[in-house]
Amino acid sequence: MSTSVKVKTITMREAIVEALHEEMERDEKTVLFGEDVGKFGGINAITRGLYEKFGGKRVFDTPIAETTIVGAALGMAITGLRPIPELQFGDFVGIAFDEVFNKLGKWRFMHGGQMEVPVTLRLPVGIAGGAGPEHSQSPQALFMHAPGVKIAIPSTPYDAKGMLKTAIRDNNAVLFFEHKLLYAMKGEVPEEEYLIPLGKADVKKEGKDVTIIATALQVQTSLEAAEKLAKLGVEAEVVDPRTLAPLDMETILQSVRKTGRVLIVHEEPKTGGCGAEIAAQISEQALFDLQAPIKRIGSPDVPIAQSIYLEQFYRPSEDQIIEAVKELMEY
Amino acid sequence: MAEIYQKEIDLKKYSKEELTRYYREMVKIRKFDEHLIRLMMEGKVSGFYHSGIGSESVSVGSITNILRDEDYIYYNHRGCNQKIAKGVPLSKIYGDFLGTVEGTTRGLGAGIVHSADPSRGVLGQCGTIGSQFNIAVGTAYSAKIQNTDRVTLVYFGDGAASREPLHGSLNWAGLYKLPIVYICENNGYAISSTTEETHSVREHIADWAWGYGIPNCVVDGNDVLLMRECVSEAVERAKRGEGPTFIEAKTFRHRGHFEGDTYDYVDPEVLKYWKEHKDPIKNFKKLVIENGICTENDLLNVEEQLELEILQAIKKAEEASLPSPERIYEGLFA
Ligand SMILES: Cc1ncc(C[n+]2csc(CCOP(=O)(O)OP(=O)(O)O)c2C)c(N)n1
Repeated sequence: MSTSVKVKTITMREAIVEALHEEMERDEKTVLFGEDVGKFGGINAITRGLYEKFGGKRVFDTPIAETTIVGAALGMAITGLRPIPELQFGDFVGIAFDEVFNKLGKWRFMHGGQMEVPVTLRLPVGIAGGAGPEHSQSPQALFMHAPGVKIAIPSTPYDAKGMLKTAIRDNNAVLFFEHKLLYAMKGEVPEEEYLIPLGKADVKKEGKDVTIIATALQVQTSLEAAEKLAKLGVEAEVVDPRTLAPLDMETILQSVRKTGRVLIVHEEPKTGGCGAEIAAQISEQALFDLQAPIKRIGSPDVPIAQSIYLEQFYRPSEDQIIEAVKELMEY
Repeated sequence: MAEIYQKEIDLKKYSKEELTRYYREMVKIRKFDEHLIRLMMEGKVSGFYHSGIGSESVSVGSITNILRDEDYIYYNHRGCNQKIAKGVPLSKIYGDFLGTVEGTTRGLGAGIVHSADPSRGVLGQCGTIGSQFNIAVGTAYSAKIQNTDRVTLVYFGDGAASREPLHGSLNWAGLYKLPIVYICENNGYAISSTTEETHSVREHIADWAWGYGIPNCVVDGNDVLLMRECVSEAVERAKRGEGPTFIEAKTFRHRGHFEGDTYDYVDPEVLKYWKEHKDPIKNFKKLVIENGICTENDLLNVEEQLELEILQAIKKAEEASLPSPERIYEGLFA
């Protein structure tokens, strides 16, 4: 961030709350709803103060009915509103799978391109302290397979605010995945209004030896690992795609061509995670720039244990990243 | 328990013009359907088609002279009836079936599923039947929050009524008092399963609405005027801000679930009864002639005029070009 911009240090939670307040204020067609998002302010305290400010018509608590929450959002969107529904846990997207997979992403197209679907569906994801197998997952990769939806997954307060504001203004359906452990993470955010385009990756740290591509919380883990690697004489570049759809392959390939080595890190199960798609595209487009096979670190392909002790073994660690990079450097 | 909607219909309340219009709309739908089936036989139209013959009165009775362009409908998979009643041009619907650029989807070939005409409030259909229940509450919420008196009508079969989203939708509609009218087109069958075989209800599907505090009734869907009276009361209630209504319209399919269905799971005697005694068009024709409102000749003129209109629509749709292959990449994002 350039020094001329006035900045403040806030948490990602605060950044998201600010984005919601600003966008709700800006456009009276915005409507926010979900379970316990009203007076209570959301179980992750993301919708605090909105009910008081915008009233019960524009900010309302819904029954526990994920299918209806997402379906209703579509109905509102195609008739002039700009809905911002929340699922209490991203895992519950399975309940509304038809609504997301077959409706949000397809309604416009399959009806001949005659309607707009400005829905921003917020989904908290990730392992966060013993929440168990149905409250800790990161299902975003499922929707890379669903044409018609955009997938945003920020890793910093700055990105979260700028991307959420863009998502809300977008006339298409955006699935906005927020890692629960990032909510308390602090970072610098400009005082002034700003927007971050969807479909634009960000190089979080430059380096010449290896490209680490990571999403959400793993961006932070990778940055910490990169610092340690620097002490070992390895300069890692950390690239955060920020959106998985559209996927900014240009930025990714640029980095890969520079370093020749790739490690992809994410919290989703390794099989069929977003890393699988990114790796496939790299090998299709930059195979001969590679000096080593593409490596991936994901969660093991098993449900996430409830135990807070075992839980840590699902999350990619700094040590794993350092080990993997060392291996890559041997080629 | 759901009441059976009954009302003395005073024919004098209706002008000849209005009654002729109901006849015209019903015949238009039937002729559209018959010609489409012909086009399928000629090999010009592929895919699944769910014929609406036998229940034209459900759609005409709930739309014609009741809904405005700005009112919304979600039609069902037997829903060309509803699209036609809502005024979507025939050439556009034929265009969708023929896959030409005249169609509402400009060549995607959506056919019965997924054609839309937002300018006339036709907002589309779910291929996963019954998912429209949820979308409809969103639309109704939208009308309410934007302070309009637009009403949302959502159509579905008795089979689709088994889908879980119905209950989420009824709960919201009742809770938020949404301007929405549920129209269950109960033709007794979901493909081959009967309503009784697949529903745990007190007696009628409409009974479910009672539990959500939503006014409800069962109506003879094949009586176009009765249907009209019943639905206009519901639409007026919605416009006054008094919330949703659930209407179960009893009807029957004259043809199988889709074209090509052997339809041998239905007792031929029952089918014969519906065709001979409950055909909505035949009965309405008899009613208006016997009451001296229209002559046989008046109605024949209507039919002849429609026949021409339909042939012209087909010609327009057939003469339009097929889309270029790039069509599949258009319109995904706004
Ligand atoms: C969710 C879903 N399940 C199953 C189907 C397949 N299917 C299409 S129509 C139909 C029967 C529908 O019956 P009903 O709602 O009573 O309407 P009808 O065909 O009798 O008019 C079925 C099972 C589908 N399209 N979507």
